[in-house]
Amino acid sequence: MSDVDFRQRSYPVSGPSGPPTTNLADILERVLDKGIVIAGDIKIDLLDIELLTIRLRLFVASVDTAKKAGIDWWETDPALSSRASRNALQDENRALRERLEALESGMKDELPERRHRNDPPARTKENRGT
Amino acid sequence: MTERGLEPSDADATYVFAVCRNPDPSAVVGLPGVTDEAPVSTLPLETLTAIVQTVRARDFTNEAWQARLCDEQELERYARAHHDVVSAVAACCPTVPLPMATLYQSEERVREALANEADRFHAALNRIAHHAEWGVKVYVPSCQPDDSSRSTTPTGRSRPAPGAGLAYLDRKRGAQERRERRQDEALQAAEAVDAEVRGLATASRRLRLHGPQPSGEQRVQVLNATYLVAEHRADELTLLTQALRERTGTQIELSGPWVPYSFVGEV
Repeated sequence: MSDVDFRQRSYPVSGPSGPPTTNLADILERVLDKGIVIAGDIKIDLLDIELLTIRLRLFVASVDTAKKAGIDWWETDPALSSRASRNALQDENRALRERLEALESGMKDELPERRHRNDPPARTKENRGT
Repeated sequence: MTERGLEPSDADATYVFAVCRNPDPSAVVGLPGVTDEAPVSTLPLETLTAIVQTVRARDFTNEAWQARLCDEQELERYARAHHDVVSAVAACCPTVPLPMATLYQSEERVREALANEADRFHAALNRIAHHAEWGVKVYVPSCQPDDSSRSTTPTGRSRPAPGAGLAYLDRKRGAQERRERRQDEALQAAEAVDAEVRGLATASRRLRLHGPQPSGEQRVQVLNATYLVAEHRADELTLLTQALRERTGTQIELSGPWVPYSFVGEV
């Protein structure tokens, strides 16, 4: 089908010792940041246990690492930066305030539904080894 | 983090690398993937095929990833492992990569989740068929701080006998102007390169600029863009890049062909 050999210069890599001729930053910004995102992929909801879905937190975890690898866009990514989490907090605040207002003004029927928060939390902590 | 009734330590999960159409199963043979406990394999969906690997769930929990991704070597190992599988599959058939760390509880869940998205996958596969992604980065030399040593400035001459302070200010102003001019020129060069390459690309995307390397590189990145280019125009792109290097006097790095990671999502 395709005549292009995508394996380019980065191949073969059978482990960390492979010749890293393709820039790590180039790979990271594609492997992490791009690729098709499935609808359920983003929801960080470990209840019904789509294991990972943790893409966002995953990014945050690697800011320092990314900086060492020579890329600083992690921090400026609106979806990923700490500012983003602040914004998320603000959004949540705003949403809560709206809900409160709605409640106070007695518009109970108009409330947006809260999703699945009442499901019993699955045993997601697997820190009891064995 | 497991299916009910299973001990966490024993539970499996399914890592998904990519979705493609009619792959040659031998394309994934021998690829290490992200674990050495199971081979990378193909999982037929209805009209598509997922490239998957069975992993131990406990090795791929949120916490495990966080720890792993804080370690530069581990991050690199997993990023390359993912990339290698994607690239190997894409070498044999049109392939839509999934982001690193896409996992499901079971192959059954993969079938369910991905079958629901079949239309999007087909659309993406059609968009990227016979195309590859190419990265273009443009660099200019970083500014030298000792710029102001050049004492003649365009405005200096009109002043009959400037005092030392005034001369100093003039010099500073001149340096500042030169710096701004260089910045403008660099940005213009970046825009020019982008416009030219877009001319032969099917689609394009700007990526975030990389900051200076910790090693203190003497150059500044002014463009980091990526382009979806038809296979038959790849040579043209190489020639164009060379011509642009000469014309703009910038450093231009071309990387590719990549699997079109940047062009399979929403456009």
